[in-house]
Amino acid sequence: MNDMTLTERAVNATDNKITARNVQVYYGESHAIKDVDVDILDKTVTAFIGPSGCGKSTFLRCLNRMNDTIDICRVQGEILLDSEDIYDRRVDPVQLRAKVGMVFQKPNPFPKSIYDNVAYGPKIHGLTRNRTELDEVVEASLRKAALWNEVKDRLTAPGTGLSGGQQQRLCIARAIATSPEVLLMDEPCSALDPIATAQVEELIDELRTNFSVVIVTHSMQQAARVSQKTAFFHLGNLVEYDDTDKIFTNPTDPRTESYITGRIG
Amino acid sequence: MPVFWIFVIVLALTGAGFVMGRSRALSSVDGDRRRLHSLPSYAGALVAMSAFLPALVLFVLLLALNATGMILTVATLLATLIGLALSLRLVSPEFRARNAVETGVRGLLIAAASVAILTTVGIVLSLIFNTVEFFNLYPIKEFFFGLNWTPSFGGGSELGMLPLLWGTLYISFIALLVAVPIGLYAAVYLSEYASHPVRSAIKPLLEILAGIPTIVYGLFALLTVGPFLMSIFGPNGPTAAIAENGWMHAGTAVMTAGLVMGIMLIPFVSSLSDDIINAVPQSLRDGSYGLGATKSETIKQVILPAALPGIVGAILLAASRAIGETMIVVLGAGAAARLSLNPFDAMTTVTAKIVSQLTGDADFASPEALVAFSLAMTLFVITLGLNIFALWIVRKYREQYE
Amino acid sequence: MSDATHSAPHKPTSRSLHAVDARTKRRNASESRFKAMGIGAIGIGIAFLVLLLSTIVMNGSSAFQQTFINVPVYLDPAKIDKKGNRDLADLKKATTFTYAPLIQNGLLDVVKKAGIETDLSKAKELKNLISASAASQVRDRVLADPSLIGQTIDFKILASSRVDGYLKGRVKRADIAQDKNISVAQLDLTDALREAGVIHKGFNSAFIFGADASDSRAEQAGIGVSMLGSFYMMLVVLALALPIGVAASIYLEEFAAKNRFTDLIEVNISNLAAVPSIVFGILGLSVFIQFAHLPQSAPLVGGLVLTLMTLPTIIISTRAALKAVPPSIRDAALGVGASKMQSVFHHVLPLAMPGILTGTIIGLAQALGETAPLLLIGMVGYVATNTPDGFVDGFVSPNSAMPAQIYEWAKRADPAFYERAWGGIIILLVFLLSMNIIAIILRRKFERRW
Repeated sequence: MNDMTLTERAVNATDNKITARNVQVYYGESHAIKDVDVDILDKTVTAFIGPSGCGKSTFLRCLNRMNDTIDICRVQGEILLDSEDIYDRRVDPVQLRAKVGMVFQKPNPFPKSIYDNVAYGPKIHGLTRNRTELDEVVEASLRKAALWNEVKDRLTAPGTGLSGGQQQRLCIARAIATSPEVLLMDEPCSALDPIATAQVEELIDELRTNFSVVIVTHSMQQAARVSQKTAFFHLGNLVEYDDTDKIFTNPTDPRTESYITGRIG
Repeated sequence: MPVFWIFVIVLALTGAGFVMGRSRALSSVDGDRRRLHSLPSYAGALVAMSAFLPALVLFVLLLALNATGMILTVATLLATLIGLALSLRLVSPEFRARNAVETGVRGLLIAAASVAILTTVGIVLSLIFNTVEFFNLYPIKEFFFGLNWTPSFGGGSELGMLPLLWGTLYISFIALLVAVPIGLYAAVYLSEYASHPVRSAIKPLLEILAGIPTIVYGLFALLTVGPFLMSIFGPNGPTAAIAENGWMHAGTAVMTAGLVMGIMLIPFVSSLSDDIINAVPQSLRDGSYGLGATKSETIKQVILPAALPGIVGAILLAASRAIGETMIVVLGAGAAARLSLNPFDAMTTVTAKIVSQLTGDADFASPEALVAFSLAMTLFVITLGLNIFALWIVRKYREQYE
Repeated sequence: MSDATHSAPHKPTSRSLHAVDARTKRRNASESRFKAMGIGAIGIGIAFLVLLLSTIVMNGSSAFQQTFINVPVYLDPAKIDKKGNRDLADLKKATTFTYAPLIQNGLLDVVKKAGIETDLSKAKELKNLISASAASQVRDRVLADPSLIGQTIDFKILASSRVDGYLKGRVKRADIAQDKNISVAQLDLTDALREAGVIHKGFNSAFIFGADASDSRAEQAGIGVSMLGSFYMMLVVLALALPIGVAASIYLEEFAAKNRFTDLIEVNISNLAAVPSIVFGILGLSVFIQFAHLPQSAPLVGGLVLTLMTLPTIIISTRAALKAVPPSIRDAALGVGASKMQSVFHHVLPLAMPGILTGTIIGLAQALGETAPLLLIGMVGYVATNTPDGFVDGFVSPNSAMPAQIYEWAKRADPAFYERAWGGIIILLVFLLSMNIIAIILRRKFERRW
């Protein structure tokens, strides 16, 4: 396997990880995302906020081409990951998704054991040479997801038997087991109770040291708590994108202000 | 045709009852229908029902007791008239005719729903009585464990069930060997890969196979598939060089019936599996795609394992269908009972022998004819067991994702 | 695996997305293979369907053509009416054995007139060309109109099944060495008569509307009478299964309390739906024929058995149709003071009707094609030659049914009947197809989305 092209790059927190320019998304006839330009930084938590149906989840799903699985969805424009166009014809979405992991709104553990859930990604991508390495990856991922201590004695138990918050952390462990560079989270706490939410939020903050995290949330408090950058979407447009502090204390656009003060939403 | 005329007269009286009841209700309040508890036609309906239903029940009862002629006619007509007169007297402004009619209708609905129970009871009773009678004439042990099936109406028959059961299971096995992989792959393709227009074009096409009557498959086995297999595996075919005389000696064989039955079961397996695969939540697919799995990896490692219990249930249902199938084996499998491993041998099945023992001029009291009921009982128990088990698995599976 | 990523999975390294690595290529290849298997499976299924349908059409379409012979027959009074008084009772004494030579003579005259050279010089030697039914055809005509006696009348008679098979390519010269029923000379003559236009093929309406014939007269066998048998059975099924099925569904869906009795009914219905059809035949045999002494082979009994078989199908689809009517409709009716019964019969049932009818038609189609239970109640083995006289007779006098007739033909020794069996299947499938199309149209037209 020496025939692969490997490019090592140094990364630091001010680098652009993802650059989106002039992105349009259509669902059949309807124009769901209009002219979105955004730069997502590495080692940063970026929050997408906005009222329901504003296109924030749709845009998130463009970043790892999950929209490809929907027949009627078309994406135009340019999305670069480390300055490579992810919608280029040469890109295999399978490889892309190994680099850009995703955690979904509802915890969706596979009906397999906890171990197999986490090992699924490394197995299909062939990331480990033997069982010992796989064990290490599984343990490391579960530790990073702050779940190891709770499940280390029952790795063979089904993942569906865990509580909601544990299931969602299992899904996060599963996503980071493929060592992605970007982690997309689509309202990861909306199905969780407050205690589980707090645990996951804490986890997101820790993940920032290794990954670039993009989180969609409809809770403004959550965005304020976990993110450094915030993008406000409204009716398919990216209205404002800035430091989280700025957005919540001194927004430029009147629509952003209306939203964070609760007048639209 | 006296029965026909009794029927006509009772119907006429029923119609008259409706008119009389309605007008009596109206006249009891001098035509001011607002003073009635129920609409006048409810009074009519009540009188009509009271005239018709008791008469019908009595008529059927008398028929079952083999009453004919005068008694039948008089008793039925009398019942009609009594019902009519009694109910007519009830009609008054305060009378709750609607409630009475609704109670009656409710009773009818319950009776209709009970037909399902009666059918099962009928099946079980007719099987049990005749089976018991058979075991009075023939030892039960030899029936269940006998290795020979040589019925002769002259007496001295050996009626061992095992060769028939073997033929049944062998043919069903071959049928499933054809139907399960094809049906399952087709279901996976249709539910996971095919675009909507392709799916809505292909699915009904495959389901045509399920709508074709089994007699058509039987004829296809007998006249097309049998001779075709003969030309390959028969004494004059290319395989005759390997095995002396070829493997196949007649067009009717386990392979012939099994192949054709397999074709018939393809849509059965595919549409059941399709439903089950569609019941796997989309979130599991998203989870797998989000990790960078390809579609086939997602299907093989996430969807199929998740759907496995349901698919096992579907296969069991298909197996029960195969075991109970009659026309294909009657025409395609042969008539000789044989315990053999060669799939190109002619063998026979439980269903085929039920048909052959009960058609023709058999004496219904002879063990050779009664054995058919024991065979049917065995068939009924096996298929019922498979069905209950399969439905239980499928239900458990569905609950898991609800 | 010398990739840095693999030994240290969490070190931030980056690999170009624009180069597809070897592992992904392998995975994509396996993806394509898997997809190809799916397409292959569907291809096999469709191929079987095409094979089945084309076999049916190829083998069955010839049943709709039949070979006829135009023969002028001299109705010789010396043979038919020996007493010469044209008395019907006396005329009836002349059997078909009297008429057969007259036809053979007529055909020999045609041969001579056309100047065809043949070794067959005697009228008797032409017997194998003519269907055994021809004599009774001529006799019936004479009995209907005795004034024809003494004249030469043109008849269009059936050719024998061997001649018919020869013209259709089923009977081949190479195969007839052992055949008592036809010889090479007779086939030569057939060819010559065909060129002369005496023997010709025509549309076989008798196959569609006619009655079955005995074992030796394949050329005369038709499916018409058993079609009537099927028709009467379907009337029974419709008259019983629809009301009972709808009533049972209404009870279970709208009124039944959740108790053991209801559970028992539910379990029974779902199990009856999966009981092998042959077991229903056993039920019919022992309950309707042995116990209730209903007549054997009667469409009434067949209809009763098929009713019990179809009920679960109708109940399942009717319940689905009732369930699809939203509760708001029931609430609205109850809200204006209707009783529960009124809300169901005035509002829910009419709205569910298209769905119920669709399910009923599909259940009827299933019943129409069912064969196995009919074997046990004596609808096979019976030669359906008589059209029932009158409506009531149609239910109780012995008859066959289309699928049973097809089975009967498939069992007969003469391969000439196979053509009839395939032809019968075409007719049966046409019925099933039209029923299903009606069901689809109904569904399309009345389907309501709530």
